[in-house]
Amino acid sequence: MRPLLVFALLGLLGATGAVAQDAPIRLEKPWVRRAPAMPDAKPGAESNAGGYVTIVNRGTAPDALVGASADVAARVELHETRNMSGMMMMEPVAKVEVAPGARVELRPGSYHLMLIGLTRALTPGQTVDLTLRFERAGALTTRATVR
Amino acid sequence: MLRSGAFDPPRPAPDFALPTTQGGEFRLSRHLGKVVALTFGYTSCPDVCPTVLAELSQLRVRLGAAAKRVQVVYVSVDPERDTASRLRAYTEQFDKTFLGLTGTPDQLTTVWKAYGVSVVRRDLPGSQPPTYLIHHSASVFLIDSTGRLRVMAPFGTPVDDVLHDVRALLKE
Repeated sequence: MRPLLVFALLGLLGATGAVAQDAPIRLEKPWVRRAPAMPDAKPGAESNAGGYVTIVNRGTAPDALVGASADVAARVELHETRNMSGMMMMEPVAKVEVAPGARVELRPGSYHLMLIGLTRALTPGQTVDLTLRFERAGALTTRATVR
Repeated sequence: MLRSGAFDPPRPAPDFALPTTQGGEFRLSRHLGKVVALTFGYTSCPDVCPTVLAELSQLRVRLGAAAKRVQVVYVSVDPERDTASRLRAYTEQFDKTFLGLTGTPDQLTTVWKAYGVSVVRRDLPGSQPPTYLIHHSASVFLIDSTGRLRVMAPFGTPVDDVLHDVRALLKE
C-alpha cells in the first residue's frame, strides 16, 4: 500500500512539473473590461463584459480555444467582432484556432470572451479568474485584472 | 487639417432632442460653443461600446483643462433594455460628464437615421434566458462649436488622431 502511494505521489509531482515547464499553451496579459452593476436588470439583461488575453502556442501541435468560464459571470461565450464598412457586428464563434508557434491576441474589436450575466460590478483594479478550455491543453485558469 | 474622416464641406449637424438620464432634455443646438463627440451604442455591449467610451474618456483626460469644452454624448441603440438609470450607471463608470441619451424607439430611430447609423438586432442562438446583440455603427461624430458636422471617426481610429481633430476644432 505504502509504496504504491509514494509512487502515485511521485507521479503527481512529475505531472505537475511537466505542466509548469512544458505547457504548450501560455496565456499572457489577461484583462477584463469594467462593467457596472446594472440597476433594474431583468433576467437576460444583466451586465456583460469583454475579456481579453493573448494565447501563445509554444507546442508543435495545433490547439484551439473551445470554451471559457469566469468566476463572475453566468456564462462566457467566444465572440468575434467584425467591422463591415463601419457596422460593428459581433458573432459567437465555436473555436479560436491557435497554430503551433502562433500568438493569437483576443482584443477589442476582434476575438474576445463575452462574459454574460455578471454577478457583480467589475471596477478597475479588481481581479477575475478566467478559465479557458482548449481542445488539447484542457482547462487553463488565469487571473485577469479589471481595467 | 483634420485626420479622422472629415466632412468636406462641413454640413449642419442634424439637430435632435432626447431625454437625458438625469431627467432633463438634451437638445444638440443648445450646446453651441462646445465640441460635441457623438456616438451610439448600448449598455449590454461588451466589446465595441466600452472600447469607444474608454477611448473618449482617455481623450478628455489628455485634453486637460480644455476638456470642459468637450461634451461626449452617447445615444442608445437599445431602447428596450437601456433604461435611464442603466445608461447612467454605464456611462458614469467611464466619465461622470458623459451624457447618456435614451428614449422611445421612435425618438431614437429618428436620431439614428439622421446620422446614418444602422441598427440591427441579432438574437443569440440558444441563449437562456433569450438575449440579443445589436449590430450597429460605432463611429464617433465630432460637431464643432458652431453646430457643424466635421468628422466621422470610424471604430478603430487611433485616439491620437481623434485628439488631434478635437484640438483643431477647439482652436477654430
